[in-house]
Amino acid sequence: MPEAILSLAGVHTHIGQHHILQGVSLEAIRGRATVLLGRNGAGKSTTLRTVMGLTPASAGSIVFDGQAVEKARPHAVARAGVGFVPEDQAVLRGLTVEENFRLAMLQESPEAWAKMETIFELFADLKKFWRAKAGVLSGGQKQMLAIARAFVGDHKLLLIDEPSKGLAPIVVDHLIASLNQLKRHTTIILVEQNFHMASQVGSDYFILDDGRVVHAGLMEALVDDEGLKQKYLGIA
Amino acid sequence: MTGREPTPVQMERLHQRSRRFTRPGFLIQLALLACLIAGPLVMPSFRVMDLVAKIMIFAVAVASFDIILGYTGIISFAHGMFFGLGAYSVALICHYSQPVQYHHLLLAGVLAALISTVVAVVISALSLRVKAIFFAMVTLAVAEFCHILGYQWSSLTKGEDGVSFKLPGVFSADWSGGALWGTQINGRLLVYYLILVVCALLFVGLVRFVRSPVGRVLKAIRDNEQRATALGYRVFRYRVLSTVFGSLVSSLCGALFAMWLSYVNPDTVLGTPLMLNILLMVIIGGLGTVYGGILGAAFIKIAETWLPDLQKLALSLFPKMELMHRLAERWILLFGILYILSVLFFPKGVVGTLRDQAEARRLRRLGRP
Repeated sequence: MPEAILSLAGVHTHIGQHHILQGVSLEAIRGRATVLLGRNGAGKSTTLRTVMGLTPASAGSIVFDGQAVEKARPHAVARAGVGFVPEDQAVLRGLTVEENFRLAMLQESPEAWAKMETIFELFADLKKFWRAKAGVLSGGQKQMLAIARAFVGDHKLLLIDEPSKGLAPIVVDHLIASLNQLKRHTTIILVEQNFHMASQVGSDYFILDDGRVVHAGLMEALVDDEGLKQKYLGIA
Repeated sequence: MTGREPTPVQMERLHQRSRRFTRPGFLIQLALLACLIAGPLVMPSFRVMDLVAKIMIFAVAVASFDIILGYTGIISFAHGMFFGLGAYSVALICHYSQPVQYHHLLLAGVLAALISTVVAVVISALSLRVKAIFFAMVTLAVAEFCHILGYQWSSLTKGEDGVSFKLPGVFSADWSGGALWGTQINGRLLVYYLILVVCALLFVGLVRFVRSPVGRVLKAIRDNEQRATALGYRVFRYRVLSTVFGSLVSSLCGALFAMWLSYVNPDTVLGTPLMLNILLMVIIGGLGTVYGGILGAAFIKIAETWLPDLQKLALSLFPKMELMHRLAERWILLFGILYILSVLFFPKGVVGTLRDQAEARRLRRLGRP
């Protein structure tokens, strides 16, 4: 039976007066890529931020790798093994590419440095701009750095929020290939509006609407289900 | 790959490290150190020695402020106060210890470090958890409180008159050790060398600090606090560490400054102008550069020392030009113009702008426009 690395049960999240997540329940299976789909404002990004502790849950339980983390602070969630790649190419712009990686390593080890070679095979540009400030990279390179940085941190689970946002189609294709390589090493939860990318990377999916999970299943089934795609994702 | 063999990335880093002693930057630092050592022996002018000693002290004080403001992004108005706490520790211990001994100096240094650490921890713990502006306001209030205390607690601090004191043994202004290559070896010269040694060690410590993993985390916090947290770092602890370390170094600089002057009063070591000077120095040198502190301190101290002489120069060069004399008399105006020009031409400070230009050249070589 497949084992869940992350389980959310009846999670509610409030941001100020707004009740954003209204009882989200989902599971991410270890070693697979799970995609969260839904319209804008459905609560996908808030789900990731709630898991990280950046917008703490007001009710419900979050269990990561057998450990309750719904009350944990973000740094503790990160140290427990959850890597987070926020949207908008979230790199540390004033730091060099090298510094971004060394920060993400938490503890530098020969294994972590050896991992860098895998990263350079996937994202060759990052080696070229190794000593450049991350702020001068192109949008695609920044996104690659953000993802690669989370990967080098030896995380058991990567939460990736809309990596294709604002990127050219050719860069998105490269990103899809890279994420498919990365998912061989770690579990991924991906929030994505671009259905092409979601379907290429994801194994499982959850559709969120108005802060609740309204549908879930295998991605290969969703690809063929035109009615469901039309109803919740607006894809004809 | 076994994991024991260095990876290509590690090999490149080892190669970079092996070249560090032949880089132009290192050689410039070595040349500067040689000039500071040989300067007083080759050119025995008290005015120049006084200027250089002050530049050294302020360069380190400014670099320590840069750790807090430039590297961590925390606005503290208490850096001058920590400088003053260090200065008063030396002044009061030496003044009230009769006869003053070497161990009194050591005790003053330890006391300065201890007091500044405790005060910085208390202020940080109380106010760094909340918004940065709150910390700025708290530090401003505490600094002003200490300034007033310096005036009001006159039974201890002698109020406005200040505290003058003698240094022990070979550091005393009266001590003379004969001549070396035509230069008189005296207490002032030895205090100068003591300042040089301590400042060099503190500066190396600051550079090592910003290049350490802790320095990287501080830069990450300045860049984006939430991202640093999401990477697994406890932002609050790092902020406290940065504030305490910067304040501790500032207090040691204050102790050296008091030793150099053998006198302190509330305005010279606790006043707002001192804090503003430190702020100006770090802006001129460049935030987040550490080395900018040297240029910022040199610019302000040289201007403060030599600009007042412009009046004499104007009188001798243009004896009949009234306007020129008036302008030279109001040298502080010229100082303001110089400051505006430096900000216009070096918006990120001298070192910051030069670094940006070097970075742009390197990127162009890599094919990035």
